[in-house]
Parts: sequence; C-alpha cells; structure tokens
Amino acid sequence: MSQRVALAAPVAVALALAAYPVVASGYEVRATLQIFMWIVLAGSWNLISGLTGYVSFGHVAFFGAGAYAGAILISKAGWPWLAAALVGGGAAVLLALVIGYPCLRLKGPYFAIAMLGLNEVLRALVSYFEGLTGGGNGLSLPTLDATVPIYYVMGLTAVAVTVLTYLIITSRFGLRLMTIREDEVAAEAMGIDTARHKLYAFLLSAAGPGIAGALTARDQGYIEPISVFPLATTITMIVMVLFGGKGTVWGPVLGAVVLFVAQEVVWARYPYVHPLLFGALIVAVVLLMPRGVLGILQVRYRLPRTI
Amino acid sequence: MTTKALAALITAIGVLAGGLPAAAQGPIRIGASLSLTGTYAKLGNYQNEGYKLCAKQANEHGGLLGRKIEFVVYDDQSAPSTAVRLYEKLITEDKVDAVIGPYSSPVTEASANVTEKYKKVMVTPLAATTSIFKRPPDKKRYYLFMVISPAEAYLEGLVDMAAKRGLKTIAIVNEDTLFAKAAGDGAAELANKRGMQVVFREGYPKGNQDFSAILTKIRAANPEVLAASTYFDDAIAITRQMKELNVNPKMYGITVGGDLPEFYDLLKQNAEYITGATQWETTLPYPGNREFSDAYKKEFGREPVYHSAAGYAGCVIYLEAVKRAGTLDSDKVRDVLLKLEMKTAFGDFKVDQDGFQTAHKMVTTQWQDGKKVIVWPDELANGKLRFPTPPWNQR
Amino acid sequence: MNVVVTPAMLGQVVISGILSGALYAMVALGLALIFGVMRIINVAHGPLLMLGAYATYFLSTALGINPYLTVPVSMAMLFVVGVLLERTLVFRVVDAPELSSLLLTFGVSIALVNLAQLLFTSDLRSVEYLTGAWVVGPFALSKSRVVAFVFAGALTGLAFLFLGRTKLGKAIRATSQSREVAMVCGIDVQRIHLVTFGLAAALAAAGGALIAVIVAIQPEMGQIWTFKSFLVIVLGGAGNYPGALLGGILLGLIEQVASLFLTTQLSEVVAYVLLVAILLVRPTGLLGGRQT
Repeated sequence: MSQRVALAAPVAVALALAAYPVVASGYEVRATLQIFMWIVLAGSWNLISGLTGYVSFGHVAFFGAGAYAGAILISKAGWPWLAAALVGGGAAVLLALVIGYPCLRLKGPYFAIAMLGLNEVLRALVSYFEGLTGGGNGLSLPTLDATVPIYYVMGLTAVAVTVLTYLIITSRFGLRLMTIREDEVAAEAMGIDTARHKLYAFLLSAAGPGIAGALTARDQGYIEPISVFPLATTITMIVMVLFGGKGTVWGPVLGAVVLFVAQEVVWARYPYVHPLLFGALIVAVVLLMPRGVLGILQVRYRLPRTI
Repeated sequence: MTTKALAALITAIGVLAGGLPAAAQGPIRIGASLSLTGTYAKLGNYQNEGYKLCAKQANEHGGLLGRKIEFVVYDDQSAPSTAVRLYEKLITEDKVDAVIGPYSSPVTEASANVTEKYKKVMVTPLAATTSIFKRPPDKKRYYLFMVISPAEAYLEGLVDMAAKRGLKTIAIVNEDTLFAKAAGDGAAELANKRGMQVVFREGYPKGNQDFSAILTKIRAANPEVLAASTYFDDAIAITRQMKELNVNPKMYGITVGGDLPEFYDLLKQNAEYITGATQWETTLPYPGNREFSDAYKKEFGREPVYHSAAGYAGCVIYLEAVKRAGTLDSDKVRDVLLKLEMKTAFGDFKVDQDGFQTAHKMVTTQWQDGKKVIVWPDELANGKLRFPTPPWNQR
Repeated sequence: MNVVVTPAMLGQVVISGILSGALYAMVALGLALIFGVMRIINVAHGPLLMLGAYATYFLSTALGINPYLTVPVSMAMLFVVGVLLERTLVFRVVDAPELSSLLLTFGVSIALVNLAQLLFTSDLRSVEYLTGAWVVGPFALSKSRVVAFVFAGALTGLAFLFLGRTKLGKAIRATSQSREVAMVCGIDVQRIHLVTFGLAAALAAAGGALIAVIVAIQPEMGQIWTFKSFLVIVLGGAGNYPGALLGGILLGLIEQVASLFLTTQLSEVVAYVLLVAILLVRPTGLLGGRQT
C-alpha cells in the first residue's frame, strides 16, 4: 500500500461526497449530514479525551451552547446562518475557556462528573433565561431550506476536525498530550506545562461541536433545551470513538459511520429494545475491544500511529 | 425535474389508455413518525392506535379514491431531531402519498419544517401549541392543520368556574416545556381577564419529582385556586405532596393526566375533587362517538383516551378532505381543509386561515366517587362541580 | 416569585431537606462504598434503586405484604443482583481507566432500564400505603417521608456498625484504604469487591423500596439518583464513609433552600456550582478524605 493510494482514497471519497447531493434524495442528504455531524462530535471528543485521557462526560454541552448561540443570532439578530455557525463555534470555545480553567484541574472521575453536571446546568440556565432563549418553549427559526449548503459546511467541518486531529497527532503538541494521558506527573516532571496543554486541547475540542450545534439548529429550524443537551448524545460520541479506536485519526470517522448506519438500518426496526441493544454494544466494546477497531489493526498489522 | 415530467407523461399515457383499474394502483400510503418509545411513548402509542382504527374502518368501507389505505409508521423516540429525519425519509425515500402528524408540540414544531418544504399537507392531531400555527409572515406555514383545542384553553374551564364562584386568587405552576408553559400562560391571561389575581407563578423542570419547596411557597401565598399545567408523572407527585404538606386550595385543577383512568388508580380517593382538562370523553354526545369507543374497545381491549380519539379524528378529517378534493394534490386538499366544517367522534373541526383550530371544545372533568364527571362547559356537562374542596384531613 | 419567605416556610423546607437528605445519605453510601473500594463510579446505581422499588411494589401489591416489611426482602434480592453483576461484568474493569468503568456501567444502566420497560411497562405504579401528613404547629410532616427517614437512619447506622465492628466490614475498609496492604494481610480482595457491590446494591434497593411509598415509580426513575449520590459523596469526601451522611443531609438542605429562595430550575445550578467549588477548594470533601 503506497502512500499515494493512502492519499488518493480520501480525496476520491471527498469528491464523491461533494457530488452526492446532486443525485441523492432529501433523506439521503440529511442522513449523510448526520454522519458528518457525528464525525465532528466524535472527532472533537477524541481531541480532548482520546488524546489526554480526560473523560469529558458532558461534551454535548458545547453542541447545545453552539446551537443556542447560533439560533439566537439567526432569529433575534437576523444574522446569516454561516456567520452564526462560526460564532456558535466561538461561543463554545469561550465556554470551554471559562469551564476548562477550573475543571481541568480535576482528576479522573471528578472531571467526568463535573462535565456531566455542566451539561445539566447549561440546560437549566437556558430554560431559566427565557427572554433570550425562549425557555422551555424553545426557539423557532425563520423558514429556510438550506439543507444542501449546510451539508457542505458540516462536511467541511468534519474534514477540518479530522485534519486537525492528524496535525495534532503528528506534532510535538500531540506527543505531549499523549504523555499527559500516559502519566501526568511524569509529563510535568519532564517540564511540560500540562495545564496549558490540556486547556488548548479542550478549547480545540469545543469548536467543532459548537459549529455543528449551530448548523443543526439552522437545519432543524427549531430547538428546545431538552433536545440539544441530551446525555445520550455524549454517550453516543464516546462509543463511536471507542469503537473506531481512541487517540487515532480515522477511528472517530469509522465509528461515526458504522454506528450511525447500524442505528439507522438495523436498530430502527426494533424500537422497543433499542436501548438494550445499545447497552449490550457498549458493554461489548468496553470488554472486548477497548482499543477499538483501528487500535486492534494497529497492533496486529503494525500500522503507523498516525492512522 | 425530468423524473417529474416523466411521471406526468406516464400518468397521461395511463389516462389516455382508458385509465388503469383503481386497485392496480396499489394502496395509498400515509406516513407518520410517532413517539413509540421515549418520554411520550405511552401517548404516542395511543395516537398510533387511533390511526390504525381509522385506516381499518376506511378500508372496510372501500378505502380512499378506490384504493386501500396503508400507514407507514416509524419511531422517533420522542426526539424532534429524529422525527425531522424520518419525515424526510418518508417523503423522499419511501415516497409516501401523504403524511400525518407526530405526537407532541415540540416534535410537530420541528417536523413541520420538512413537510412544508415538500409542500405536503399535514393534519397534526396532537399538537396543541398556538405558536406552531400562528406565526409571523416570514415563518408562516401553509400546509399544517390543527385538530385539537390550543394549549391555552386547557385551564379555561377551571378559571371560568372559579370566577363564577367569586374566587379571587390563583396560583399557577407548569412544567417548563412548550405545551405545558403555553397552558400556564393561557390560564394566567384568562384569570387576569376575569379579574382574578395571580398570586404565584413558577415553572419546574421536566422530570421534577420534588415539589416541597414550590408547594411551601404556594401554601404561604394561600391561593383560592391552584392550577397545575402538567403531563402525568408530575400531576401525581404534586397531588401527593399537596397532601403531605397540607396545601388546601378551594379548587385544584390540572391539565393532562387528570382525565386518565390511571390517575384515579394511582391516587385512589385522593383524586376526589380534582379537576382535569381533556379534549374529549367517551361519554360526549358527538356523532359516531359511541361507535368509535365500542370499536376501539373491541380492537385494543381497553377504553380509548383523548389521544386515541384525536389521532382517529385527524385521520378521518384528512381522508374526508381528500375524498372531497377528489385528489391527493396538496394545494387542492389544503383548499378543502381551510373551508371544511365537520363533526367527528372527537367533536367539531374548523380552522382559520392559519390552519388553527377554532371550533373544537375542551371539557373539564372532576373525579366524583371514583367516577369522572364532566362539569364544564354547561352545554356538555353531565354533572355538577363539587365545591369547595374540603381540607385533606376532612376527605 | 412574589412570595415573601417567612421563618415558618424556611422551617418547613429545612424539615423537607433533612427528611430527604437521610435517604440521599443512605443511597449515596452504597455508591461511596463501591467508589472507595473499587475506584469505580457505578452509573447503574440509580437503576438498581429502581429495581428495588419494583421489588417492593410487586411484593406489596401482588402478595399483600406491608411495604415496609418488604424492605429487607428487596435488599436481599438486589444484593444477589449486585453480586451477579460484579461477578459477570464489573470485575473486568476494576483496574481499567475510568472511561471503561463509566461506560460499562452506563451500558448496564440503560439495559436495565429498557428491561424494566419491557417487563413492567412504562406505566406509573404506586404503593398507596401511608399518605398525608402529621401537622405539628405550622409544619407539616409527611408520614411516608418521616418513616423513610427513620428507616434510612437505622439502615445507615447498621451499615456503619457492620463496617466498624465486623471482620468483613473491617476488611472492606482496609481494602478501600489500600488494596495492596489488604492483600498482604491475607484479605481476599476479590471477595471483598463482591460483597461491597452486593451491599451497595442492597442499600440502593432500600432507597428504592422507601421511595416507592413516597412517589409513583417508573423505569426511568433511577438515573437522577446516580448523579445525586455522586454529589453527596463529593460533598462529604470520597472514601470517607461518615462524610456521606453529612453530604446527604447537606444536599437535601441545599436543594430545598435554593428552591425556596430561587426556583426549582436554579437549585440544580446551585448544587452543581457547589460541587465544582468544593472539588476545587477542598478536593477531599468537607470532612476530609479517606479516614475510615
């Protein structure tokens, strides 16, 4: 397998996906858009948790924050959605800065639970400040059919997150992050400014979900607190990364595609036992393949670390 | 564009060839995304049963436009985002001939954007929030039709009866979600209009089970009327904790939940005197109501609730509109629906230019000796309100 | 909103807070034991509580047993469930990174809830046994909550006696202080894990059984209890078992008082901000850590 093929394949896939909306049905476009969204979410979670080992159990908070920031700008200030999406990403990064500074000092399960709590708090705050957010009524956006352009922007965001992951993993910055994951005390002893590194990774991991949240809000045309801050979304992105292989470039992509398709094709037929199947899958992934598909392949076939 | 032209061409050839026999066209497929699992599972399944019964009866009577009817139903897990995708799938992938509404206001609010995009008429029998239909010009919806009375009307009966009895103060609590909040707002507005003073108002998060603090505040505000805009779990919790904290308003009414038989099963005699609001009752003298209830009981082995009846009626109304239009064409069916005045087992149907329901009536019920009695409005009542509610220790 | 808070109201919510706080403490003690001994946050703690509630519901409605007499039965049943869970799944992730145990127990958690939905349906159930209140001066004391308070207090006391006086209890504490030392002293750590998990599930079940008499139950009732229990053990200091008692009462009070002065929505925010603040300022909890 030459390097040229390795580069040509993703480019070919990207070109095919770019042409896809021309021939695809409305549903196919929307389903693919969802896959892009999951790649953004899973890839972003991978940046903080896959690389540093700090388990963010409330990453959907950034998605929700972006969704609300974007929706407010669109509906109250009349912004174009593309600008609103970028600001949505910015809002999520800002939130990450405020939260990350104190919370990243927490270790292990404490960090996980603090993030879970953050998500609940954001939901409560959004419900409370109803003048701005509509509270429990939610926010309804002006009618606009922009699914196809949103498809492209979400796709580009997914590419950006994946390329960013590659750049980080191959950089010294990435190496330091992984040192923190293996042994934070040792990393500090080696002179790595762990607080700063963790914070940078955290900020980067918030941008993608923020943009994805704002794009989703625009595409759906309606958001409410319950539906943009669900714990299930965080869990799904984690399982996607774990399934594909955490700490890898392509793992989140693989996980997002496989799990979303499985969900849409297989599980939708068995609505009443869906959570049971999902629970069983989680248990199976944790126990049988904690390194994920790519992790296993890496070990077995001695693939490069940067896959 | 080309496929559409091709389809038109094929249809034209079919017509020229003398028309195909109707049965050979296959069934008319009506698509819906329903909350079969998740938060709204119970009520979504009731609605589904209403649809099923409607389709079954229509098929027994020769179907629609000479074709059989078939429902294509998916589960949206009570999530608006999933429902959006499912309606898109129904319309563009399954290519259903028509769509019909999902369960709940939030899910409808999101799904309507898709059905509007494809210019599909959607009769949505279980969305009660006014803001879904009454929208500013840039957000206007053309193909969405409401069946049930708006959320704001749920507590009208309670407020009206209280005002007539000269009560002056009211406390209002509501779950902080789209529908429940609208019902609470409606109650506040009606109360103000009737010269009553709202002495307490607070929302609580979905899923809340502990109402001690809210009820302590209500006890201190000492209102004559307590109006709670609830789903079901919260209605049970509030009622139990009212007894625990000895909160004794002269009238206490809730919205959804108070009408369900389970409400009395769970609370037993503690449900006495409590009023509930409902869109519909088995006992109401609407044409075909008795037949509907009997058929439903035979089909599913239990009493229908209003969610089943509304689903049933929504389907009946849509089929009637198609029959009168003589086509499935959205714009023609829309024109018929805008003018349609109809009485179903569920009551009256008539909408204004926004597709907003104007004819249907809410009723208020009260639990009296284990029976649900309709006490409001007078023209539909089959009993008198028991008033005032005695304190908990004297019941 | 437009209600002036009087001392009597404050008194009333303080009572409510203490009453529910004792329940929090008992349920959280289970989570604290597992966390202390095995270094795992058992996300399925709340769903185990839910199963306990259903055990009581069926025992009391189907067999007509007094619901309070079903508490020990429900605990025994869930002890077995806990042991089985530990033996089949949880022991595999004891030394894994926390992500594994969080996710594994989350998977178990949603599977349990779904199973309950399939077996028991999502219909609300309630044990109408002791409703209403004892009115004392300006205060109303909910009967079912007072009884739950007494039970929770007694069971928590028993748990402490067990931990403090029996050989097995001491072995559990020793393991939670240092697994290596415990092993060196000849303690069968595997067995300790098993017993701890069973005991924790039993404590959750007791909570569920008592709650079943207070509020209506349904399969999704449990999840919120996992988060609340974690709040409690953070407040009290993880690994510090008496801390759970203080944490429980404190959480009960905070929730109620915040709901009184602010709104129920915002009381969640207050609890969370407090959680982060305590973790940052005093990571070992209010009573300090790990002195068992």
